[in-house]
Amino acid sequence: MAVSRAEIVDQNLVQALRALPEAPPAPLDRPLRAGAPLTGRAALDLWESMVASRHLDLEARALKPRGDAFYTIGSSGHEANAAVASALRPSDPAFLHYRSGAFFVARARQAGGTTPLLDVLLGVVAAADEPISGGRHKVFGSAPLWIPPQTSTIASHLPKAVGAAFSLARIERLGLPAPIPLDSVVVCTFGDASSNHATACAAFNAAALCAHQHLPCPVLFVCEDNGIGISTRTPEGWVASRFAQHPHIRYFIADGLDLVDAHAQATAAAEWVRQTRRPAFLHLRVVRLLGHAGSDVEQSYRSPDEIESTEALDPVLAAARALAERGVATPAELLGTYEELRARVQALGRETASRPKITDLSTLVAPLAPLHPDRVAAEAARPPGPEARRAFWGDRLPEADRSRHMAVLINRTLGDLLARDPDVVLFGEDVARKGGVYNVTAELSRRAGVGRVFNTPLDETTILGLAQGAAQLGLLPIPEIQYLAYLHNAIDQLRGEACSLQFFSQGQFQNPMVVRIAGLAYQKGFGGHFHNDNAVAALRDIPGLMLGCPSNGRDACGILRTLVAAARVNGRVGVFLEPIALYMTRDLHEDRDNLWSHDYPEPGWSVPVGSASVHIEGSGADLTIISYANGLWMSRRVARRLHLELGIGVRVVDLRWLNPLPELDLAREAAATGRALVVDECRRTGGVAEGVLTALVERAPGVRLARVTGTDTYIPLGGAANLALVQEADIDAAARRLLADEEG
Amino acid sequence: MRTPRALLLCPGRGSYTRESLGSLQGVRSSTLDALEAVRADAGRTPLRGLDAMPAFSGRAHLAGEHASLLTAACTLLDVDAIDPEKVDVVAVCGNSMGWYTALGCAGALTLDDCARLIDTMGAWQAGNVIGGQLIYPLVGDDWRPDAARASAVQAALAADPELGWSIRLGGQAVLGGSEAAVQRAMAGLPPVQMGSVNYPMRLPWHSAFHTPWMGPTADRAGAALAGLGWRAPRLPLIDGFGRPWRPRWADPAALRDYTLGPQVAQPFDFSAMLTQALGDHGPDLVILPGPGGSLGSAVAQVMIAIGWQGLRTRADFLARQAVDPVLVSMSRPEQRARVARG
Repeated sequence: MAVSRAEIVDQNLVQALRALPEAPPAPLDRPLRAGAPLTGRAALDLWESMVASRHLDLEARALKPRGDAFYTIGSSGHEANAAVASALRPSDPAFLHYRSGAFFVARARQAGGTTPLLDVLLGVVAAADEPISGGRHKVFGSAPLWIPPQTSTIASHLPKAVGAAFSLARIERLGLPAPIPLDSVVVCTFGDASSNHATACAAFNAAALCAHQHLPCPVLFVCEDNGIGISTRTPEGWVASRFAQHPHIRYFIADGLDLVDAHAQATAAAEWVRQTRRPAFLHLRVVRLLGHAGSDVEQSYRSPDEIESTEALDPVLAAARALAERGVATPAELLGTYEELRARVQALGRETASRPKITDLSTLVAPLAPLHPDRVAAEAARPPGPEARRAFWGDRLPEADRSRHMAVLINRTLGDLLARDPDVVLFGEDVARKGGVYNVTAELSRRAGVGRVFNTPLDETTILGLAQGAAQLGLLPIPEIQYLAYLHNAIDQLRGEACSLQFFSQGQFQNPMVVRIAGLAYQKGFGGHFHNDNAVAALRDIPGLMLGCPSNGRDACGILRTLVAAARVNGRVGVFLEPIALYMTRDLHEDRDNLWSHDYPEPGWSVPVGSASVHIEGSGADLTIISYANGLWMSRRVARRLHLELGIGVRVVDLRWLNPLPELDLAREAAATGRALVVDECRRTGGVAEGVLTALVERAPGVRLARVTGTDTYIPLGGAANLALVQEADIDAAARRLLADEEG
Repeated sequence: MRTPRALLLCPGRGSYTRESLGSLQGVRSSTLDALEAVRADAGRTPLRGLDAMPAFSGRAHLAGEHASLLTAACTLLDVDAIDPEKVDVVAVCGNSMGWYTALGCAGALTLDDCARLIDTMGAWQAGNVIGGQLIYPLVGDDWRPDAARASAVQAALAADPELGWSIRLGGQAVLGGSEAAVQRAMAGLPPVQMGSVNYPMRLPWHSAFHTPWMGPTADRAGAALAGLGWRAPRLPLIDGFGRPWRPRWADPAALRDYTLGPQVAQPFDFSAMLTQALGDHGPDLVILPGPGGSLGSAVAQVMIAIGWQGLRTRADFLARQAVDPVLVSMSRPEQRARVARG
């Protein structure tokens, strides 16, 4: 029977431990090496964490062929990251990648109160008892150990680590309560290959930019450099040449094959970050043993000599040799510990293999999108205190103002949210002194303070990373993405990261936030794709994401209040999609009719999650038009004309929520007329209309359906944009066809 | 065939009962001789004599100066009887005073020092009971959490600054406090009957162990027991905070400081200890040596709480015990035979 590399590495280690030299016993509480802080006793403790991590890898490989395990990417060769854990406190937030097993074990042992060996194996077998993800993923995560679970394999967790580091200082500056000590260090680990990733580069950039401006950003980047990403070698010396001179990020290099050096450098790096509150990069040189994953045939891209010479560098052995040579432990003791941990891990493997898995859909998705509508409504109705409002607004409260357009009403809503709760922070490109490119945030930084409303660098990944980090430390962030088209370069921060956090942690970690995004088309005199993007499909299919989209200023207030409330009550991630072309729209049917201006709805009023609104023209008996945002505004105009010109009774339904869709409202309103025209200003493929029509087919059978949509194209400059976008004439014609077809 | 892995759980002081009388009779054991020598040195009644009394009496058998080492003696004799061919003891822990016994079993103290520690701490109880302890269930008859009972305990604790947690004992709360506080809690907690036992139940002759009321005792212990020879254990130990103490290189001074300090005057978390022991060592079974059978339900309740070996209910546990016990009480002959020589 073929012997696996895992077995070879294991056997070699056992033989090498047996053959270690025996030195005269030495006191355990002295430094293992002169001048380095690691004592013999502490080194033994770290070595046990390293050995435990190794056996967890071996056990995952053993369980896999039996059909009990589902994840074999391991930490073998990286075990010196245990020293990084020991250089930190258990309350230092740690965003770990998938090779930080020894870090996880070492931190758990440092803190006590958890069972890391059992918990990792429960993850490997996807057991429902697994304490962080409940069997949804194999992750390193723990609420008591301040390790938010990451599924990232591409360093996409780095921006939120930077965000957490920045936010900790911001929390201190604002005098708010912090869930961790204010001198904490945020640590994130990743590989050499993923240090090239755009997302990682965004994080390095953001941290350096903070430091450049003398803003605190206590983040420790730990690059576990094993020299290879799956089969692709990282060019020799690349990580050092890339980061040794990185502006504003202090570089430390540690030999992960020398536990004493790894510990000394990790300690120095962690202390430097803790003292200076500036970012550091710990370059931890390691090796990768056992291939990329259990399924990886390393022999296909590495020569046998190369594999064997790498295995000879086994850091577990190197550390054992140091312990034995210095008389801290005998070879027999080390071998005894190695075998004891093997037996423990194997026993726990037997225990976990039969643990129950998730077997029903409702359990699986329960943590994905929790929603308590009544509590959310109550929270949305919670008014700011009168004193707080007066302090914020002065003597002239928003509701005393005349009817205003949407941009102003959103501004007033944001102001009341800032006035009500000191943990609300608002940030984005140009949102502070300029007040945003459309003045939506005008004056808010002056009123709330620059520490609460502030500009960010021009990078959406950084903005959304900051939002996640801030939210995980207890702030309620309302980041702004300046244009919908700018979201797409960073959308994984919502898709893969923010929205997955509750799912993969069973709600033990949350990143509540409301992302304001200015978007959609129809801007007059300011054209082109990037300022008129109407690609919403990318938002609608993100599990757990709430997506509100108003057509008028009054609803904008109510939806925004509800999104913030859902973030607060249920930890939800919400997107508030603001239709730019309606920001300044005051009129509906005629110039100066002022029908699209609204009074500011006093705090206390909100729009319930997933509820549509209905406007009735005439009898409302003949046709239902379903739309949102700009399409809704146009549909209202068309409906009025149909009524005045043809005597048609029209119900115009405003979706208000693009996720969750108000399906029951839609079905009821469509059934009321038997004819439903869906007006979707976004693209035909993957657009909102597809979801609306599907809901109507399922929930309102027999209703005659039609749609008008935008075209599957980018939005061009100037008047040509109208060729691609839904026009009132298109709605009018489609409505008349729908009415005529039935009569015919 | 693989030798089963076993966790050794040494019982606490209140374990020596009427049924235990006679356990030490006719026993020839160097272990027992060593314990008797410690008793003789201290001028106390021999254990064999206490054990041979015709009738069980609270004053003779439950008072701290006798009950502690009586319990430990029965425990240590059973540990001597464990057959390494039948089970592999992989870790040791102990409930309350059982921690002292565990220190001896794991080799952190010599047998003499272990006996001296137990006997001294127990003897200080003579005429010196400080406050008291009571026990109250947190679970229902099915051993699943009972929210109302947990609320009642929380309310009692919140209402009385002189009452505190003593032991988190699986599905049971052991509370300790001043005499007045214990009396108030006895009167205030809703009466509950489980099996033949009525709760709240006062633990006779017990001080408010593992509470701040024992602070002076801890201080006294630090001075009086300074001569004990502490060593790193031979076997893994898990303490009353659920912390592991590693063989060979645990810090003996830290072990001493814990044992004579927080272990005495801070709450003892049996549940955390057992959860940690199970989750770190993966034992196939838990052995309760000595007169420790009464601890069985607490062990089972912890196992059920974490789904150990698939046990999710009391019925699961009882069914499992009937065919292949996961919990072996050495005071039960049919279970004892699974782990003991002969």
